[in-house]
Amino acid sequence: MADLRDQTLGFRLRREWPAYIYLLPVTIVLLVLNAYPIAYTIYISMTDFGIGGRFSLFNYHYVGLANYSYAFTSNASLSWELIGNSFFWATGSVALFLGVGLGLATVLNQEIRGKTIYRTLILLPWAMPAFITILVWSNMWGYQYGIINGLLATVHIAPVYWTERADTAWVALFVTNLWLSFPFYTVVFVATMQAIPKDLYEAASIDGAGSFSKFFRITLPYLKPTIIFVGLMGFLFTFNNFYPIYIITTGGPGNATQIFITKAYDQAFGAVGATPAFATAAMYSVIDFLIIVAFTVIVLWRTDLTKNWLK
Amino acid sequence: MIQRKRRRAARIAKRIATHAILIAACVFALFPIYFIVITSFSTLPVESITASTLVPSVSQFTTKSYHTILYDQSPSFLSLLENSLIFSGSAAAIGLALAAFTGFALSKFNFPGRRTFVYFILLISLFPSFVMIIPFYLMFAKIGLINTYLGLIIPYSAGAVVFSGILVKNYMDSIPDDIEEAALVDGMSRTQAFFRVLVPLCYPVLGLAAFLAFIGPYTDYALAHVFIDSPGLFTLALGLYNLNSQSGIQNYGLITAFAIVMSLPIVAFYMLFQRYIIGGLTMGAVRG
Repeated sequence: MADLRDQTLGFRLRREWPAYIYLLPVTIVLLVLNAYPIAYTIYISMTDFGIGGRFSLFNYHYVGLANYSYAFTSNASLSWELIGNSFFWATGSVALFLGVGLGLATVLNQEIRGKTIYRTLILLPWAMPAFITILVWSNMWGYQYGIINGLLATVHIAPVYWTERADTAWVALFVTNLWLSFPFYTVVFVATMQAIPKDLYEAASIDGAGSFSKFFRITLPYLKPTIIFVGLMGFLFTFNNFYPIYIITTGGPGNATQIFITKAYDQAFGAVGATPAFATAAMYSVIDFLIIVAFTVIVLWRTDLTKNWLK
Repeated sequence: MIQRKRRRAARIAKRIATHAILIAACVFALFPIYFIVITSFSTLPVESITASTLVPSVSQFTTKSYHTILYDQSPSFLSLLENSLIFSGSAAAIGLALAAFTGFALSKFNFPGRRTFVYFILLISLFPSFVMIIPFYLMFAKIGLINTYLGLIIPYSAGAVVFSGILVKNYMDSIPDDIEEAALVDGMSRTQAFFRVLVPLCYPVLGLAAFLAFIGPYTDYALAHVFIDSPGLFTLALGLYNLNSQSGIQNYGLITAFAIVMSLPIVAFYMLFQRYIIGGLTMGAVRG
């Protein structure tokens, strides 16, 4: 038995060895530019690199898990705030994307005049580079000259300090993020809905089913794999989506909208002239990574997503 | 009779509601873009931009902001554009080659360790890319690559490689093995069959892979901000960010004009190839 397996392995190696040559460049790139930096980050998170005013490049000491234990004892409130904010930011955004995307897709999937025009216009925000439009949005949320307060003035609502209160800061972030992403989700769901066989709906109509039961009995089950897939991808992307928060609120007021990566970036490169706390930044990165991996494993384990696209 | 009338009324009401929802969605989608466009062509100072100026008037039309952006800046727009093209173009070329080889190996070979390799690359791709800047900075500072072209091109090239590699793999999975086998029967080696038969069949997904590798560096601020401080190497993204933070909202015409010029090529590409891009980004999940 073992003999046979060796033979097949040898046979496969003899026939399939060129694959290793094709994978050599990408393997080198991934080892040097991903695996090594990740290992390096984990190591730095266990040193005192830049902590307590100590900063000269590459003069640091191994401190074990001291940074982690500090983060979850004396500094626990900040760490929990970051965890809470990261999840709030990601789940809130994805809920909005899926809700608005599904709703609009259902509306757009009817036989209506001007369908293509609506679709093209809705898709436009998504085609603009996000970095650029986030900069524009950050100005639109401005207190004094922002156009959103300008619009509110026409209906006699007093101007709002959008980024200076936690609740309004979150509103600004979610609205901006929804604007950036809802076109993509809408178009994806429309494309999937068009693949649903029409006779399913016809049969349901004959059986006397209304729009709502058709949506919940046919459309939703059919869309489920797509919803789970884009939902997971959206979560992973948003959990680490740096620019909206960095540009619009910079994590403020205080740390009210701060998530792991904005905090990490800020610790390492934020304050001009201050000591870059590389160890703290690395630690937040590692915690972020562990959460993301755990979340992904759970989702993949609880769903049959892998079967569909990861043969 | 009455019932039929009522049904007709309900149908019309439904149609009106449908269009109302879609028009509201379009207004939400287009308002910021509309606002950027009219501001970039307006002479009005920012203090006087209010809701009432949202209706543009011909007397305030000017292309001065565009003129200033293109000819009156330091570093010049041309220099920013040139740097952006060098960084993004190199990253796209390298990223494209890596994605093509990776996709080919994962799709058309059944080598020992294939599954492990896929799990490995998916795992490391979960590490947040923005915080990768920290180890990159420390590594590259050590070997003196800060403030050089190479110092940015190297990390940029790795940016989209896992995602694009899997993208190409999925696309190649849909090409029947018979096509490659026919080429082998004709006396080609597997490498020849790859370059002469498979690659031409994969142009759409390879174009998408190149585009994804291009757009990341083109709009990157976080890495460039840390790696570059000599203005001669500034990119468009740095130029826009600096314009925004230095002159702030006072120069709103300039910021919006810059934003439009920088976005145009990308928007055109997205709109032309939206079908491929959306199909690619969902990795075939849309097929259901």
